[in-house]
Amino acid sequence: MKILYKNNTDELILLAMKSDTARKGDYLLIHDQKSNKKMIVQIYNEEYLSSQSLIEDIVKDEVVVASSIENLHDPLDIGNLSRMIRDARLFKAKIRASIDSESKFSNEVTWLPSRVYSKINRMKISEINNLVKRTGLYSIHLGSSGWDDEQFEIYAEDLDGKLNIVTGKKESGKSHLSKILIKTLVEYGAFVIVFDLNNEYGGLAWNGDGTLSTLHEQITMLEPGGGLEFSLDYCGNAAISSMLKNALDMPAASLREFFRIWDWLENKNTLDMEALGNAINTWNTNELVRDALISRFHAICSSGLFVSTLNTSHKGLRFEQLISKKQGLALILNMGKAMPVVRRMIVELVLTKVVELLEKGIIPPIFLFAEEAHLYIRDTYWEDIITRMRHFGIYTTFITNQPDAISDSVYRQVDNIFLFNFTNDTDLDKISKVSLADNETVKSIVRTLPQRQCLVIGKVVRDLPMVVKITPADIMALGQTKTFFKTESRVQDVSSVS
Amino acid sequence: MHTQINLMQDSLGWKHLEDILEPSVGQCLSLNLTNFLNGRQIIFSNGESRLVPIQGWARKNKHSCTTLTTIQPLKEETTIVAIDSSSIQVAETEEGVLYAVKSGIAIATRGQTQAHFKIGPILFYLSEDTLKHSELDHRITKLILFDSESAKRLIRVRVERAIQLELSHHFTDAILLVDGSLRSSVFEHRSHTLKKIVENGSLYKNTVAGISKITKLRILDKISLPLTKIKDPGYIDVNLIIKSLVRNTIGDTLLVKFGYSYTSPILRLDIATADKDISLGKILGNDSIARGYPETLQLAHHISTFTGTEVSCLKSYVLNKYDVVELASEDIRKKLLGSILI
Repeated sequence: MKILYKNNTDELILLAMKSDTARKGDYLLIHDQKSNKKMIVQIYNEEYLSSQSLIEDIVKDEVVVASSIENLHDPLDIGNLSRMIRDARLFKAKIRASIDSESKFSNEVTWLPSRVYSKINRMKISEINNLVKRTGLYSIHLGSSGWDDEQFEIYAEDLDGKLNIVTGKKESGKSHLSKILIKTLVEYGAFVIVFDLNNEYGGLAWNGDGTLSTLHEQITMLEPGGGLEFSLDYCGNAAISSMLKNALDMPAASLREFFRIWDWLENKNTLDMEALGNAINTWNTNELVRDALISRFHAICSSGLFVSTLNTSHKGLRFEQLISKKQGLALILNMGKAMPVVRRMIVELVLTKVVELLEKGIIPPIFLFAEEAHLYIRDTYWEDIITRMRHFGIYTTFITNQPDAISDSVYRQVDNIFLFNFTNDTDLDKISKVSLADNETVKSIVRTLPQRQCLVIGKVVRDLPMVVKITPADIMALGQTKTFFKTESRVQDVSSVS
Repeated sequence: MHTQINLMQDSLGWKHLEDILEPSVGQCLSLNLTNFLNGRQIIFSNGESRLVPIQGWARKNKHSCTTLTTIQPLKEETTIVAIDSSSIQVAETEEGVLYAVKSGIAIATRGQTQAHFKIGPILFYLSEDTLKHSELDHRITKLILFDSESAKRLIRVRVERAIQLELSHHFTDAILLVDGSLRSSVFEHRSHTLKKIVENGSLYKNTVAGISKITKLRILDKISLPLTKIKDPGYIDVNLIIKSLVRNTIGDTLLVKFGYSYTSPILRLDIATADKDISLGKILGNDSIARGYPETLQLAHHISTFTGTEVSCLKSYVLNKYDVVELASEDIRKKLLGSILI
């Protein structure tokens, strides 16, 4: 491999023969032997060495070979050399960092390596890790990276207190990566809340073969009417107010009347669903307000999120109890079957309550995984999540296949991005504009990523973007689409395997 | 300002010099264009390449009383073998010059190109030492050492003749098409002469034919007029004219049109056979004629020309294979004359 020229401010064009093996995302070390300085570059695109005459030669040869059978007498084997030139490639590489003659690593690169005296070698992931001092105590094994498929891991410390985005097109492997992250975080004793839109994260409790996983006891699946039930007094008026206002669009006048009833019931120590229903029906108020209150009360009742606690021992869900019981917990909130309005109610209730508990120091910080959050989190909440809530100890990972659904303000605050394949130009444009890496790298690498490979950008990789092949995980697959032609597809699967 | 320049010019005597030079130059050759150009047909030249009028020169001339024969394609299966080659200068040392040659053979039958054979590139180094035992005349040796065009021609002729000789007894009942006229060359090796090729050809019932795309004989352009008046392939025998003008030609010389169009090119064809009509009919019946030219010859030409990549590869091969030191070089002409960028 040889340096041909420098293209932009941070780009080198390298000439490579067919035997020079490297692929998009690989890191190369350019060692200038004269100055004893080293430059770290990353290949982000590969092209043929092309000139008009070369193309004309190839076309001419193809036409000739197509028209008659070719025989050759090439005593000098020039044809072989010619084939080498036709197969020569240009690697476009981004300058990422440099190491000076005193082995000091720097992201600022203000020099150019010699074209004559430079030696270019592919870098191992372990070498890069050593250079950028990427170490930690809690490693999360994601899969492999680099030409030699070296084991690749990130560190839980780099997700702690950070905002992360996992994005890519449908079935590119986003949920798979998220499950690996959740599984490992729980193994390390972290508390994770998952807003599960496809009811698939429950699979973490089982292995691929259907046996119980080692985390089985630490996975708690909840859904409205199935464990995800609160008592009114546990929620408190802040959470209920937030739910009524933001999820059920209750007007201010009705809200005031609602909390008059709430206070009255609370003073009587009879705050309960049944009592609330009775009070709304008999409360002396304007008919329009009563209608508004009744319709919201019916929505609350039908959501299955609340339980009557006065005459039963069941006190409803209490986060602090779940968290205090276990060392590491994943609370999977299944919202797949819930109506959109109920999803929004769940989110309002859970987040407000969790923030309240965090404020009071009752629970430790939690990791929040929100899949397709734009479907159930109101616009104003985004900023709250990324600014205020992280100070209380909610560290969010957004998982989405619509990068444009996340606002630029979120992207500006993001610490880590796990980018899976995108082929759509609009999505690529969006993600390349807002991601932490340069436009060309993102566009070129992400477009050609195979399934379950992602480009990791951000603090977890010390701002040196890495292409990672995500390892298969022994987790039961749940949440698949219910198909009509199940039998036929199975037959096809069997025949394709055989 | 203008007055000053004029004064200066006058002081140098430019006006006087102009008065002297004008008649002097005029005496070299006739400058009277009007009498000679008025009413003439004209085609403007295009640098080095020689152009011919598509419909021929329309005016009658003294040689236009020639007989035209049409050619009928013969479907009798015959192998058409076309040979072409090219040579280039690759490098130069203090003592000699390194050349490369490439040859191509294309074979057709029943109107279809069947196969082709690429030979080379092969390197030849010509210096006083290497030419010492070449059996070349002393004067020709000198010419080759000083003139690279002649050296390239020598290499091409020798390699081509060697291939043609082999092919002349490898095939039977075939037609060997050669690029250019059938004319003995001073550069031929004594054991690979054109005469021997033609003799071999007749022994093995092969016909040798040379087709020239362009001819230096301007008279042939004028004679070709009748061929532009017919649509079908045909030929005019110009053997007598050619024999009177050029020595060392072998076989008969014809002006041939292979294409089925009024505007098909008219080519000079030298053919060494007793039955021209049959041989030409076999060419039409067994080769594919594209744009009025046999496709085998076209293919042989294409596979024998050097591509830019091959030239680079040859240089790379020489650098890697031999312990040579590449010196920085410059184009003296370019350096001295430069260029005026517009």
